[in-house]
Amino acid sequence: MREKERYIAFQVISEEDEEFTYPDLESAIWNTMLDFLGEEGVSKTSVWLLKDCWDQKTQKGILRCNNKSVEEVIASLGLIDRLGDNRITFKILKISGTIKSIREKLC
Amino acid sequence: MNFYDFHVHSEFSEGESSIEEITRRAKLLGYKGICFTTYLDNKNKIKKTKEIALNLSKKIGIEIFIGFEARNMSELEKLIKSRREYDVLLVKGSDLLLNRKAVETKEVDILTHPEYNRRDSGFNHVMAELATENHVAIEINFREILNSSKNTRANIMHKIKNNVVLCKKYRTPVIICSGAVTHWQLRDPKVLMSMGCLLGLELNETKKTISEVPENIIKMIKERRDEKWIRPGVKVVR
Repeated sequence: MREKERYIAFQVISEEDEEFTYPDLESAIWNTMLDFLGEEGVSKTSVWLLKDCWDQKTQKGILRCNNKSVEEVIASLGLIDRLGDNRITFKILKISGTIKSIREKLC
Repeated sequence: MNFYDFHVHSEFSEGESSIEEITRRAKLLGYKGICFTTYLDNKNKIKKTKEIALNLSKKIGIEIFIGFEARNMSELEKLIKSRREYDVLLVKGSDLLLNRKAVETKEVDILTHPEYNRRDSGFNHVMAELATENHVAIEINFREILNSSKNTRANIMHKIKNNVVLCKKYRTPVIICSGAVTHWQLRDPKVLMSMGCLLGLELNETKKTISEVPENIIKMIKERRDEKWIRPGVKVVR
């Protein structure tokens, strides 16, 4: 059966407005989630960082997960405090059930 | 909904960031108010801190409160005597006797991380009942989880979960704070709420921990600022 999805729009706030690339962010999110939730825990979240929605200039992006794992994913984002040598914080912009409404928020 | 973070350290206590940096970051993350926490050693700096806080509060548009964190019995007794001079009284949890004294004292607003540096959770059903009676909120400190990893983080989360179960059973107020020592450790309110959910709270309960519980403390602060206030439960009627 097809599972219900949630989209989480976020912004990365960094020192001196550093511009991070998609692979930088993707590996940071995966590593933290695997550390915090474990492989089995991550498998339940169906998490995915949408590549075409990552805006390197504004540092805004969208994460997709299933509707039962929103809390796990957001809590994991809060545990990321460094990306390389830079200190970062995540600001959660919006959580939505459709990608259309969340894209409107980002644009 | 209004969100508050009631445990932040600036450069005036053990923190690294200035009051301005923290205040600006809190505003960016969507907080309506924050409380700068300091220790009794820095009591002579309180005037300067208050001045800076007042100016920034007007400039940035965020409520700023000043709190003191007692680290031992003697500090707690001294702080209780001068309760009118500051807004929030926190007690640094860890010692079982100090935890017990904190939940027995009406003047105390928050017992911070009762499980800190302990093998047990530093909190029990008797303390939970007392905390409910005296309106002392039990803190879930996000920095404790953020700064730990692997088995240490698992142990800390286990102890916090035990305390959350007790708080839910005895209807003790729970407050989630970042415990930040730099503005980089401040977290989005939604992150704190999500962590609360993972620690055993329901979604509506986590909303209360960063909005309703701090608002109740603010109500008490406003009462205390009134000239008629003498001590908790006692005020001049005529």
